[in-house]
Amino acid sequence: MPALPVDQWLRRFRRRARPDRRGGVSVKPRSIYILPTKQGMLLAVVILLMLTGSINYGSNLGHLMTFLLGGIWLTAILHTWRNLLGLGLQPRQVASVFAGQTADFTLLMVNVSALDRFGITLKCKKISGDSVDIPANDQRLLHLLIPTHARGELPLPDISLHTSYPLGLFHAWTYARLDLRCLVYPKPAGSGEPPSAPVYTRSDTGDRGFGADDFVGLRNFRPGDSPRHIDWKAHARERGLLSKQFGGDRTEEVRLDWDLLPKSDQEKRLSLLCRFILQAEEREQSYGLRIPGQKIESGMGSVHRQRCLTTLARFGADNETIR
Amino acid sequence: MKQSVERIATPHLPLPLSLVTGLTLLPHGMNLAMPVNLYLVALLGWRIASLRLPRLQPGRWLLLSATLSGVFLVYTQYHTLIGRDAGAALLAVMLILKVMEAGKRRDIYVSVFISYFVVITHFLFDQSLLLSLYLLLVMVCQTALLLEINRVKPSPNLYQPLIKTLLITLQSVPIALILFVVFPRITHPLWNLGSGSSAMTGLSDRVTPGAISQLIESAEVAFRAEFKQSPPAAEQRYWRGLVLWDTDGYSWYTDPERPLADTSPKITHLGESLAYDIFLEPHNRPWLYSLDLPLKAPNQARLSGDFQLLMEKPLTRPLRYAGLSTTDYRTPKLSPDMRQRALQLSGNLTQRQRDLVARWRASAMNDSRLVEKALDYFNANPFVYTLTPPIYNDNPIDEFLFEGREGFCEHYATGFTQLMRLAGIPARLVLGYQGGEYNQLGDYFIIRQYDAHAWSEVWLAERGWVRIDPTAAVAPERVRYSIRSDLGEEGSPALFRIDHGGVVGSLFHQFALAFDSANVQWRRWVIGYSREHQFSLMRGLGFDFLSPAQWGLITIGMIATSLLVVGLRITWQGKRREAPIQAVYRRFCRRLSRLGIDRLPHEGPMDFATRASRRRPDLATQIKRITGLYIRLRYGPHSREADRRSFSSQVRLFRPPRRYRKRND
Repeated sequence: MPALPVDQWLRRFRRRARPDRRGGVSVKPRSIYILPTKQGMLLAVVILLMLTGSINYGSNLGHLMTFLLGGIWLTAILHTWRNLLGLGLQPRQVASVFAGQTADFTLLMVNVSALDRFGITLKCKKISGDSVDIPANDQRLLHLLIPTHARGELPLPDISLHTSYPLGLFHAWTYARLDLRCLVYPKPAGSGEPPSAPVYTRSDTGDRGFGADDFVGLRNFRPGDSPRHIDWKAHARERGLLSKQFGGDRTEEVRLDWDLLPKSDQEKRLSLLCRFILQAEEREQSYGLRIPGQKIESGMGSVHRQRCLTTLARFGADNETIR
Repeated sequence: MKQSVERIATPHLPLPLSLVTGLTLLPHGMNLAMPVNLYLVALLGWRIASLRLPRLQPGRWLLLSATLSGVFLVYTQYHTLIGRDAGAALLAVMLILKVMEAGKRRDIYVSVFISYFVVITHFLFDQSLLLSLYLLLVMVCQTALLLEINRVKPSPNLYQPLIKTLLITLQSVPIALILFVVFPRITHPLWNLGSGSSAMTGLSDRVTPGAISQLIESAEVAFRAEFKQSPPAAEQRYWRGLVLWDTDGYSWYTDPERPLADTSPKITHLGESLAYDIFLEPHNRPWLYSLDLPLKAPNQARLSGDFQLLMEKPLTRPLRYAGLSTTDYRTPKLSPDMRQRALQLSGNLTQRQRDLVARWRASAMNDSRLVEKALDYFNANPFVYTLTPPIYNDNPIDEFLFEGREGFCEHYATGFTQLMRLAGIPARLVLGYQGGEYNQLGDYFIIRQYDAHAWSEVWLAERGWVRIDPTAAVAPERVRYSIRSDLGEEGSPALFRIDHGGVVGSLFHQFALAFDSANVQWRRWVIGYSREHQFSLMRGLGFDFLSPAQWGLITIGMIATSLLVVGLRITWQGKRREAPIQAVYRRFCRRLSRLGIDRLPHEGPMDFATRASRRRPDLATQIKRITGLYIRLRYGPHSREADRRSFSSQVRLFRPPRRYRKRND
């Protein structure tokens, strides 16, 4: 949905809480916006009607009650404002996702005050995040789910905190910009086989740890080992977590080369490459990646996978930096 | 913009909403027509039942028919849909119907807003202090519902939202008071929707036999009077209301076709004048009451030639006014047409009346002797003062004087007045109240409907108009003590009761008086607050030169100040209070830095202590002890109160000398 030009222009004057040295923001008194809600305006009309009735019947008590309600209406502004004031928001983490998936931005909301806060909602544009109550001197994790469309780095857009506590008559909100970026991998293509046949290379030095054919031995489990290779029986015998080592006289290697792909759109190629990486990982083949300007040697495992996918995600953006 | 917490479900709220609605509508039990009340109770009961048994929840058509039948019911009961009674009933019906379908947050908002409106409709029926306090609490409960729908999780207990709401309400009180004092009061209604159906009790402008004895049944307050100096004795407390000149032989009245010439009467008062304030309940009549005789009229009324205080319009709102009277007076000469009117006789005179008066005339040398003769007549003959006199039909005065001889004050007063006129003495009938109960706590008198009284005034050449109370001749105790009608039994005779109840009775009476005193203050400062008060307040403060626009600005300024104070308060209130242990430790560090040993930003307490001890070996034990305590308190699993105290006291006593002196120096 295209934003109105006026809206964009106004956005430049928006007061936002800016991150401090540790990356967190806290809500400052003058960066809180506040307006009556629909209910607030309805109550204002009701109060005017009550005043008219009180005047008409000359009821002093009616006047008094009406004015009290008017006072409550005004005081609610302060309480709604106070409910946001001084809240802290810190970036936590966000897991990388493939384009089209939803990025889960996790933020920590900190209430460093002796005041309980209620009904605080995290929002980003039109997307509502979690709503929470935070007692005094406490903190809560908030999730903001933002759908992704294109690969690349997705910075957390301007977020806003909203509340209408205590009475729902006023709606207070504040904007904040946090430095939290989600790496969006290209969307894996639907199907396809890598263009090149696997390259088999002899290994004279023995290839412990590579291949999948012959059992070679056991070694201690290291993070990143496939759970399928864990010797569960040994584990059941309480000998600890051991990984089975496989070897073979040949190593299956997939070369994923940009130039070997059919000529097409850049994004399509990236998404094909992405698919091949996932596929190779699934088949436990080792793979290397070559795209214009970058080459990654053959390898396997989640770290390698992440490196390759990151390269794909950043493709183009890095080129620019090189230039 | 979409509401943030909008999507949070509120399944726990309809029951509290229904209960609060019940509390809101409760005082209407006495105000609305019975069928409307039954309708409201039935629907509320249905609602509460349907919350427990969801299959009872009415569908859309059933709700629609309930709505139509509710409106129809109100219309059939009141024959209109506007005005005070019908309007209040209609609003109550609207509220209950909204509550019937309330499930979503929007419905709860609307229900609460309608119930705010219902609260102020109660004040059109009753304005007592008790009801106001009750409704204030109801309003807090209603507002607490709003609080509940704007948080994510329901409150763990009932007090939390109520206390928070009470706090917000209290913070709003200054604004309410400012507006209440300053907001201009308009004296006439914007539009007239009728003054309601309930008749107001009080004296009427026509005395028929039995009119006053009806009033005696009522203990309602007519007005309250507060004297600026010592009050007159009970025998002197005649509260003059209106003067009746004309009679048709059956009832007494003042012919509106023949208004009295409005000559402002000149009174020579012999005694001192008495100043007092009267807090008059609305009685829907255009006259005010004053102590006999008024010397000048308050701002709201004029003083007529026969010493009545008359207003332009009937009094429909409580009124406070200042009176100035005297009980010892001489009135000026009687004008010819007044004399003529005060001697006018009705057609129902009988021969025995004439004979009686002629007998008095023969034996009395002057008018005042004749009046005494007449009073002696009432005293010497077996006249009985009773609330339940026999019914006199054809010629009530004659039958009373010569046959029944049982009567109430109106019988005595009318009979006496007629006999005086027959004797050629100008006489007129005065209606008002007599006596009143003294409230010690508030230092004022309460005058109730059962204090209603009628008496006569005769014109004597040497004294002017003189008040004569023939009832006093028969039953002097009526004038000295108040009557209490036995309100428990309908139609039972009123008894003269001098209040000597038991201890409990007297305690209860004391309590009732204290409560009435609070109510009086309430009436004076809140209900009776008027345009006149506003003006006098502004004059008193010396601000009467300000224009309305300036007043508006000042009001806004005052409200802004009040909001600022609240804002500062709630901002400070929530400020983080530093853990006291850290503050104390910082003080310790400051003391050390005075010696030139500064704690580096990266330095932990332990490292700092080591370094400091190396620089000042003489302080090493103290530093070690303090640091040890600090680490235990700050990072240990439990902090003990004893440690905490010893930590603070040790830091407080830690005053190291500037220079390091070796011990062997």
